[in-house]
Amino acid sequence: MFWRLVFQLLRGSRGRLGVAILAIVSGAAVISALLDLDLGVQNKLTQEFRTLGANIVISPASGAPTQIRGAEAPSLMPEIEVVGTLQQLPSAQVAAAAPYLYIVARAQNIPVVLAGTWLDQAQKLDATWKLEGNWVASRADDSHCLVGRNVARRLQLAVGNPLELHYLDRSAPCTVEGIVDAGGSEDNQVFASLRAVQSLANLPAQIGLAQVSVTGTARVVEDYSTRLAAALPQYRVRPIRQVTEAEGALLGRIRLLIVSMVLLILILTALCVLGTMAALAMERRKDVGLMKSLGGSISRIVGIFLAEVGVLGAAGGFVGTFLGAALAYWMGLRVFGTAISPRWEVFPVTIALMIVVTLAGALPLRMLGNVKPAEILRGE
Amino acid sequence: MATLVQVENLRKEFGNVRALDGVSFRVDAGEWIAIMGPSGSGKTTLINILGGLDTPTAGQAIVDGTDVARLDEAGLTRFRAEKIGFIFQQFHLVPYLTAVENVMLAQYFHSTTDEKEAQQALERVGLGDRIEHLPSQLSGGEQQRVAVARALINHPKLILADEPTGNLDEANEEIVLSLLRELHAEGHTILMVTHAPPIGRLADRRIEFAHGRLVRPAAALKPELA
Repeated sequence: MFWRLVFQLLRGSRGRLGVAILAIVSGAAVISALLDLDLGVQNKLTQEFRTLGANIVISPASGAPTQIRGAEAPSLMPEIEVVGTLQQLPSAQVAAAAPYLYIVARAQNIPVVLAGTWLDQAQKLDATWKLEGNWVASRADDSHCLVGRNVARRLQLAVGNPLELHYLDRSAPCTVEGIVDAGGSEDNQVFASLRAVQSLANLPAQIGLAQVSVTGTARVVEDYSTRLAAALPQYRVRPIRQVTEAEGALLGRIRLLIVSMVLLILILTALCVLGTMAALAMERRKDVGLMKSLGGSISRIVGIFLAEVGVLGAAGGFVGTFLGAALAYWMGLRVFGTAISPRWEVFPVTIALMIVVTLAGALPLRMLGNVKPAEILRGE
Repeated sequence: MATLVQVENLRKEFGNVRALDGVSFRVDAGEWIAIMGPSGSGKTTLINILGGLDTPTAGQAIVDGTDVARLDEAGLTRFRAEKIGFIFQQFHLVPYLTAVENVMLAQYFHSTTDEKEAQQALERVGLGDRIEHLPSQLSGGEQQRVAVARALINHPKLILADEPTGNLDEANEEIVLSLLRELHAEGHTILMVTHAPPIGRLADRRIEFAHGRLVRPAAALKPELA
């Protein structure tokens, strides 16, 4: 009988409750969309920030130059030690990692900065690079290299041209596989395989630094960096703070904005429900007086009305969540160019929030506790 | 017969107004009492106190061994559910519940609902074909008969009827009165407020009020009529 009463109440007051359900559905839709955005935007922003390049750098602790100038003794790290540690740590969050050995070599008798690295990681580590030609697919490929835009211009190189690199009395040939337009210092560098540069510099299995790109929030990057630093105490492991902090600050601001908006919408929804329920409570005074005269306790009577309001909140929250998912999808497309998928955890959270807000908005029903049946039945 | 209702020196004040002023009378189980008097004489106040809808300022109102004046809010609620069946002049049905649901509502607040029993109660008052109708789809007489079925469904000790035919035409008045006669014949105790002397004469006894006092305490009617 309880639920029969609840649904008859809903049916009987559908006109007035329509206003409340509209407010609840609208509130739930916007809240659900915002929560989807809040969760989705982390991934999107993290992806966006990862395109800015590596966010952790491992270098020798001394701070000595990692770039060899002529016969200058460099401060280096054993490749196996650094790479081995990277492979031992959980790799799920590592998008890309590569060791580097920089030397100043000569090409066509002009000094150029030569970076030896894993060329297959270059695209992942520096996703913003524009490339004319092709990426080098294998880190074991010693015969191909990538050339910065400025170097290519100075040496009049095109994709497919041979390039002879000299260092002291040694030389290494390679074919230009791609010309890099990075918009930064990389435009003045030549990128070859790590093994080829180690061989050219006669520094087998030595590297000057390593770069790691970790996916996730600023906190995830910091955590990974801390673990890496603990595993490599003899080296300097530092997150690139401009990237992680900018990401963290932006996410923080976005979250604050979203939380503020969610709170505001919850309050507005509660106020709208409050107004409807106040009017409904006045309408229901007669029914409550009658129910009391029939022996209904106030807890039982108000329980029926609260269940009615709870059903209203749950139904409105349910419908609104689906609308919100569609709204988030559309907003994702507009803002980020890719859709933001609905997150399952948003559904129960939105529905629960709507039930709570609706029950809060049902506070006027408490007035029904003061109804005196004798007065109501007298028509007062 | 055992006394079902015992009212002793009952007083009810609304501010400076004395609605009931030292009222005392007794009602035996199975009696039909007509409560009469002009408007504002305290009839409805008495019914409300006996039905646990209101509390007296002083005095005793004992119904089936329970002094209503001593009950708290929860006790009054239980008392109304278990011992009283109300029939109001204005029917007071819940407008968005069907006839059978209105009857079941009283069952729900009493204990558990039994739709079949509620249907039988409606059939008894001649509304077997109106079970699923809303109050707005029923005539005044039919609505009052739903109210009678609702008042009876929990087998109350005392039926309190406040002008039960006051809003009915003659035909429906006769139907409702015949129902009350049946209930009385079955042994139900009825206290009925009425303005109409012919209706009052149907009762076993008549109590008349004026200005909150009994002016004709529990006069026996049936012997006089006989």
